[in-house]
Amino acid sequence: METADLFTELRSLGLGERLLTGDAQLAAFGSDALTAFHQRPLAVAVVESAAEVAAVVRLCHRRAVPFVARGSGTSLSGGSLPVGEGIVIALNRLDRVLSVDPDARTAVVEPGVINLAVSAAAAPHGLAYAPDPSSQSVCTIGGNLAFNSGGAHCLKHGMTSNHVLGLCVVLPDGEVVDLGGDSTEHVGPDWTAMFSGCEGLFGIAIEATLRLVPIPESVRTALAVFDSLERAGDAVAAIVGAGLVPVAMEIMDPLAIEAAEASVSPGYPRGGALLIVELEGEEEVVEGELAAVEGLLRDCGCAEMRTTADPDERALIWKGRKSAFSAVGWLSPDYIVQDGVVPRTRLGEALREIERLGAERGIRVANVFHAGDGNLHPLILFDGREAGAVERAEELAAEILALCVELGGSITGEHGVGVEKREYMKLMFSAADLALMEDVRAAVDPGRLANRGKMLTPPPPAASRSAAAA
Amino acid sequence: MSALLATDVAAVQEAVRAGRPLLPVAGGTQTATHPDPAGPVRALDVSGLRGVVDYDPAELTFTARAGTPLAEIDAMLASHGQHLPFDPPRLGEGATLGGAVAAGVSGPNGFAAGVRDFVIGVRFVDGSGRLAMGGGKVVKNAAGFDLPKLMAGSLGRLGVMVELSLKVFPRPAATATVRFPTAGLPAGLAAIAALARGPVPVSALDLTPDGAVTARIGGDAGLIEVRAERLARSIEPRGEPLAPAAESAHWEEARRFAWVGADERLVVVPAAPRRVLALDADLHRRGLHRRYGLAANVAWIAWPQAEPAAELSDLLAAQAASGVVLTGPPLPEPLIGAATGGAFARRIAAALDPAGIFAGSAPAAGGAR
Amino acid sequence: MKHEIPVEELGVRGPLMADPIAACVHCGFCLPSCPTYVTMGEEMDSPRGRIFLIKEVLEGKLEVELAQPYLDNCLGCQACETACPSGVRYGELITEFRGRVEPRRRRPVAERARRELALRTLPHGKRFRAAARAGAVARKLRAAVPRTVRPMVDLLPERLPPARPLPCRFAAQGERRARVALLAGCVQQQLDPEIGWAAGRVLARNGVEVIVPAGQGCCGSLAMHSGEAEGARRLARRNLAAFPEDVDAVITTAAGCGSGMKEYGALFLGEPEEAQAGALAGRTRDVADFLYALGLAEPPPALACPRRVAYQDACHLAHAQKVTAPPRRLLSAIEGLELLEPAEAGLCCGSAGIYSLERPEVAAELGERKARNLLATGAAILASGNIGCLTQLQSHLARLGHPIPALHTVQVLDRAYSRTL
Ligand SMILES: Cc1cc2nc3c(=O)[nH]c(=O)nc-3n(C[C@H](O)[C@H](O)[C@H](O)COP(=O)(O)OP(=O)(O)OC[C@H]3O[C@@H](n4cnc5c(N)ncnc54)[C@H](O)[C@@H]3O)c2cc1C
Ligand code: SF4
Ligand code: SF4
Repeated sequence: METADLFTELRSLGLGERLLTGDAQLAAFGSDALTAFHQRPLAVAVVESAAEVAAVVRLCHRRAVPFVARGSGTSLSGGSLPVGEGIVIALNRLDRVLSVDPDARTAVVEPGVINLAVSAAAAPHGLAYAPDPSSQSVCTIGGNLAFNSGGAHCLKHGMTSNHVLGLCVVLPDGEVVDLGGDSTEHVGPDWTAMFSGCEGLFGIAIEATLRLVPIPESVRTALAVFDSLERAGDAVAAIVGAGLVPVAMEIMDPLAIEAAEASVSPGYPRGGALLIVELEGEEEVVEGELAAVEGLLRDCGCAEMRTTADPDERALIWKGRKSAFSAVGWLSPDYIVQDGVVPRTRLGEALREIERLGAERGIRVANVFHAGDGNLHPLILFDGREAGAVERAEELAAEILALCVELGGSITGEHGVGVEKREYMKLMFSAADLALMEDVRAAVDPGRLANRGKMLTPPPPAASRSAAAA
Repeated sequence: MSALLATDVAAVQEAVRAGRPLLPVAGGTQTATHPDPAGPVRALDVSGLRGVVDYDPAELTFTARAGTPLAEIDAMLASHGQHLPFDPPRLGEGATLGGAVAAGVSGPNGFAAGVRDFVIGVRFVDGSGRLAMGGGKVVKNAAGFDLPKLMAGSLGRLGVMVELSLKVFPRPAATATVRFPTAGLPAGLAAIAALARGPVPVSALDLTPDGAVTARIGGDAGLIEVRAERLARSIEPRGEPLAPAAESAHWEEARRFAWVGADERLVVVPAAPRRVLALDADLHRRGLHRRYGLAANVAWIAWPQAEPAAELSDLLAAQAASGVVLTGPPLPEPLIGAATGGAFARRIAAALDPAGIFAGSAPAAGGAR
Repeated sequence: MKHEIPVEELGVRGPLMADPIAACVHCGFCLPSCPTYVTMGEEMDSPRGRIFLIKEVLEGKLEVELAQPYLDNCLGCQACETACPSGVRYGELITEFRGRVEPRRRRPVAERARRELALRTLPHGKRFRAAARAGAVARKLRAAVPRTVRPMVDLLPERLPPARPLPCRFAAQGERRARVALLAGCVQQQLDPEIGWAAGRVLARNGVEVIVPAGQGCCGSLAMHSGEAEGARRLARRNLAAFPEDVDAVITTAAGCGSGMKEYGALFLGEPEEAQAGALAGRTRDVADFLYALGLAEPPPALACPRRVAYQDACHLAHAQKVTAPPRRLLSAIEGLELLEPAEAGLCCGSAGIYSLERPEVAAELGERKARNLLATGAAILASGNIGCLTQLQSHLARLGHPIPALHTVQVLDRAYSRTL
């Protein structure tokens, strides 16, 4: 009865047919890209305006119904997993680039706009949106923002939050506030950056002002083959240590290369490890840096090297790299991808240890990662239909995360904590750190309605000051 | 009221837990943000919390205590050919790392990057005296809320930072500067738009109200002159490269804001190119010294100390702009102009400083203004 | 993706569905390529959503009737296959699933009638011509025609060109470089017999002997892609008998037929004809693909006046058969022809077999969108490799008031050779 009331009220907000409540509709929205978790929500509201987002959130607040924002549902950590007794607010139809200011190099966009569409809108002005998650052809700016997503080219340009100048957000009680503005400078605490990376716990972004970067005059991509991951890792450290800042440095191991080849045939040179280094900037500068990089690669024992400036060839190289996660579907029915970070000087060590841990369990691990930032992406391959396989894969994942933290790193570089890594937050943060985060969250959202169950595990009532006060 | 002194974290916690209003101070350079010695808020001097904890040049990151002088950091980084790319303003001898992050503003050479882009970890004592950590020590990290970035610009009003981890960049081996004799602000803004989108990436792009534009580049010594020439020729009227000595002197002065008079306050106001003309008209009417930096993303304004800061605050608010007053006598409210953050700001400030220990939590209150 | 489908219970054809589901990692890379997701913007109308719904149905967690509307919305354009990095064979999945549920399905009477009418009329020349005449009458009386049949009436051409049956052989000119058998194509023969002739002439001119086997008929793909597997097998058996084995290739000119014939292996999986069907499927090649691989004996003469031509990928050529470069390269071989690419090239035009009859609103929306993108290129001629697309484009271009000619790739080549372009 109560649910029926809720639906009636939601429909009366003007949603009508766009309130989805049928079994098939709900089933389709039940998972993001981490299919180990599935949960049908109570309903899905497919919104078509920012005002509708605010109205739906206000209603949820009034009726204490949890809600989960969803962009394209490509989260790899269960970030957009629905809550069973809550609703999903689907933002994918809010997909307009509202304006591009070429002189200020900014764009104002709705949250459901696809990452790549921002660059497409900026391209006629010689500009681009820099953060480029591998999922950029499908993921939305709202999702990027919530996870502070990164990508291969974030080595030089920085992650999503470095490119978000201002936001308009709906707080979990429906109040609409503006954060930041249209400038690269800001004064006062950086509320915009605080909202970025909140995994949806602070509410829903309904508009974002993004920074654009000029499309460089020249881009060079080098492919270098090494006989081991460790050597490739050392080459990365050497390049960083030499004071060079390539725009991207990515490593793929033979298994990842095999998957990419099966998928889009990028024609990578084969060997124990492939390092992709990309340089961009002024023509002469890039020439000089390329020569320096080539020298370092040779010094580090590179067995084979190929460089290109051809746009089509480069596009194919990146297509292979960016398809790699999904492409492991060619190798294995299931995979878990981890996203731990280690100090880049300890890459070689981390890779060796991961290899050992995988071998110990007889589990295949493919590696494809943002080497320049020390952001690993071990893809743990398994067959979910085999008894105990999921558990074994999860155990390995846990060990890898513990290893990253032990080496001084982080449990996630860009995929977020979501539901998947909640339990691992304690590896990184003390009880006091976590209690403080929970307090902040509870201050913004006392009912814990926004994306409940993600990132933070609610502490037992007495442990948190605000919970006690509530 | 006399200053409290803390040389370790426990002392900071103890001071906060005493439950009386206080504000952290360190180098004593951003005086406008300090508590008024005659007022009820006490200064908590954390300049004793100094020293680099960890620096691995190959990693391009370091961790240091918040009271560590910037000069010490600069020297340490320089000895390994690195630097802080956001070029924090050097407003006096004692400027500290914590102060630079708390102010959260870039200097003239910070065009490519803001402060927040480089703060990767923070340890701080919140208003309940809890020591907490956010972020970490690696360059990329998405675990938990981004407290390190929140602290950038917090002016000590959300907690007392005790330790910071930052990412750094290689320092260019050589620099060059080109001055463009553009006449009039509209022409200057057009020049800036063209240069910022041009093929030669710049690290600084300044504009004076008369329309003159100064651009700086950095990079390999062998190519720097050719590139400067290319930059100079990239727009009409063409610019002229400065002599090397003149160029370094120019930027040394610029980052010290030497042009701001001894009887004036430095006010930093975020801007956007298309808002500069209207803002400048108002500032011109008041006869203020001012410059625009970071490709017209910021206005640096010299405000006479003799005049109430509230007047400038009103002027900015009318333009929907906000600013921070950094120098001059203490102000109860160094954040001026339009409020930012609204309810979001209020709620977070309430969580981090429930009792309002930090000077009545000015920025939070600022959000509430 | 992990699933709990009782694969064993599904028999030999089970893997046609279980394998794509297992290979799907739910990454969503296919979403922006899917015409229904792009226009409807809801997860259940996306490839990823459909795969998930089929999985739930097969696992017994969801009633098939509840999933059906969203599966029906699928155009079968296979753009999602092109976009998928994980190699999910969505086309096989949906065809097999449809083939399984359709026989047991209870459709409303009028809907069923329309379907039957379409599937029984389109593949048969005489019936089609009769229907077209009836259509011309019906159009005048449109208001009186039952609503469910109206889209079909709208689709029928105003006037059919005179019938012009193909000869049984085109002799190779010059040195014989190959010998092929041509599928005449049922609908195409009626709507535009010139295409078959153009294919024959262009191949012959390039040293290919072309035979047009008697006794051939509809390839069956319309039925196959609409869930009428049994009907499709009936039609396909005729072709199994008609097409000889001693040719270098079996050439199709309609992308839909080509992709259908290439699926004969799957269609006859577990049937006695399995091996023979697989062999015919293996010999099937699209005309542009074959000709480009063979190489033009000599390029057409340079055009007297330059022409701007926009090439539109037919889904069943680009996505189902993965043939994208050859037609473009062939067209580019014509000196004086400027090849233009429309925006959203990979998006279906909405024609898609009998889809435009069953989902006319979606088909119309896509058709108009496509026509606008094509017009935006400023082309004077459109080229594509499928009769269904050509008809759909022509009708939407006309509706927008810009009836520029839409030709098959081989027609462009043929006219270039005969200096009539
Ligand atoms: C094959 C593959 C490759 C990937 N590669 C990368 C990569 O290279 N780098 C990377 O960082 N990530 C990567 N990802 C992960 C994923 O694409 C990103 O996390 C992306 O940002 C998610 O965007 P989305 O639109 O799909 O968001 P969703 O999955 O729909 O949502 C993600 C989270 O954001 C929240 N959210 C969505 N919109 C809003 C909003 N407007 N306001 C507030 N919260 C919101 C949701 O509630 C959820 O918690 C990859 C994923 C896949 C499947
Ligand atoms: S792209 Fe492929 S693997 Fe990814 S969701 Fe679509 S069908 Fe599944
Ligand atoms: S076949 Fe076409 S319509 Fe069907 S799911 Fe794939 S892309 Fe969408």
